[in-house]
Amino acid sequence: MDPQALTTAAEPAALADYLAGLPQPPPDHQHGPARSVREDAYQGHRIVITTTYEITVDGRPLPAHVGVSNDGEVHCHALPAYQVRSAVDIVRALIDNFPDDFPEADGDPGHGGHPGHGGHGEHGGG
Amino acid sequence: MAVVRTDIITDTAARDAYVHGVNLLKRESTALSTTAFGIPGPPTVVHTYDLFVIWHHLAMTSPVPPGGDWMVRNGAHRGPVFLPWHRVMLGLLEANLQRVLGEPDFGLPYWDWSADGSLAAPQSARIWKPAWMGGQGRPITTGPFVFNAGDPNSFRVRIETAPDVTLRQVDRGLRRAFGRPTGSLTLPTAADLARTFDTRPPPTGDPDLATYDFTPWNAGSRGFRNQLEGFRGPGLHNQVHRWVGGDMGPASSPNDPVFFLHHCNVDRIWEGWMHRHGRSYRPGMTASPALRGHRIDDPIVSPLGPAATPRSTLDPTAVYSYDVLP
Repeated sequence: MDPQALTTAAEPAALADYLAGLPQPPPDHQHGPARSVREDAYQGHRIVITTTYEITVDGRPLPAHVGVSNDGEVHCHALPAYQVRSAVDIVRALIDNFPDDFPEADGDPGHGGHPGHGGHGEHGGG
Repeated sequence: MAVVRTDIITDTAARDAYVHGVNLLKRESTALSTTAFGIPGPPTVVHTYDLFVIWHHLAMTSPVPPGGDWMVRNGAHRGPVFLPWHRVMLGLLEANLQRVLGEPDFGLPYWDWSADGSLAAPQSARIWKPAWMGGQGRPITTGPFVFNAGDPNSFRVRIETAPDVTLRQVDRGLRRAFGRPTGSLTLPTAADLARTFDTRPPPTGDPDLATYDFTPWNAGSRGFRNQLEGFRGPGLHNQVHRWVGGDMGPASSPNDPVFFLHHCNVDRIWEGWMHRHGRSYRPGMTASPALRGHRIDDPIVSPLGPAATPRSTLDPTAVYSYDVLP
């Protein structure tokens, strides 16, 4: 690593201009069910598995894209450190991590995951 | 001159400088507003610290190669470039801290979370005391990064990632929620870290950990990188994000200043691995173009230009070293 190059690139104006020039990602929110496509090759065969998630929370479509990896674990790009065993677990994690987007439900003590619910995040990462 | 990065728990001078520098960068305006970054809402001045929040978000949403699937592998995560990209990011933050502090000898401190993970009550560890990072809460109410809506100089979260992976403006305090069941009940322990370096044959160890990475070069790979990133094995890097919770969860996780202390420790662990196994990296340039952005001589998503590649990050000793390697 070149110390002078780091110092030059670290100048706030240089960093800001660089970031402003990066392509803006398209919004991730899906209108309709979220599709996740897994592809693999095995013994000369091409495998394509399309999984469709239709998820609502409090009757509203989930504003996040949920995907599934080749080992069957579920992840969501909004939570890069999470990769869990089920779509239910990832939605519970979204509710916990985005409290402003999922206002607390009335009269539901289990909202957001209660202490007795195990098994979350044990494989996770992101 | 190369600086020395030290443990924030024992080096209180580095701790105090870090806290002071972060708050200075939080208050330093850039010439650009949120509009320049496509962030909806009224144009609002973007501050230097928040550039790192934007950068992390944009690198995560940059599919590599262009047109690829960011859910499989992106410019900063879920692939081999995870460690080089974050090394560059830390280098740029460190340079900014040196500048605003007027201390060219300042080295970014690290948080050895595996030491705290071995405690009976990691939520009571010194790192969360008011003199260090403050505690948990929505928002946090102790420490140097407490929010005061009426004080424009107080620490505040201004830009965050939304569930649909867009950036949005907010004005609120920093949030942490330790050990939630939907995150992780525990931090990685010293034993978990030791397993990452144990290359003995199974069942004791894993010889694959002597190799940086393996095909398919993603979140399902064998090897050291994925063990440290945390999609395989005990969880390490990912587990720390999930255990701290709050603002450490979403793609805007640099909003929490503990992010950089955490990643400095991740970088230290990588340096410890290279001390054992050499400054090696995979994949090489003969790998498929579908891996462009993660191969050894591919440019990293950074303002350093095409010269900044994974290969260029493998030896940081001209810039910094660590007081102790794991």
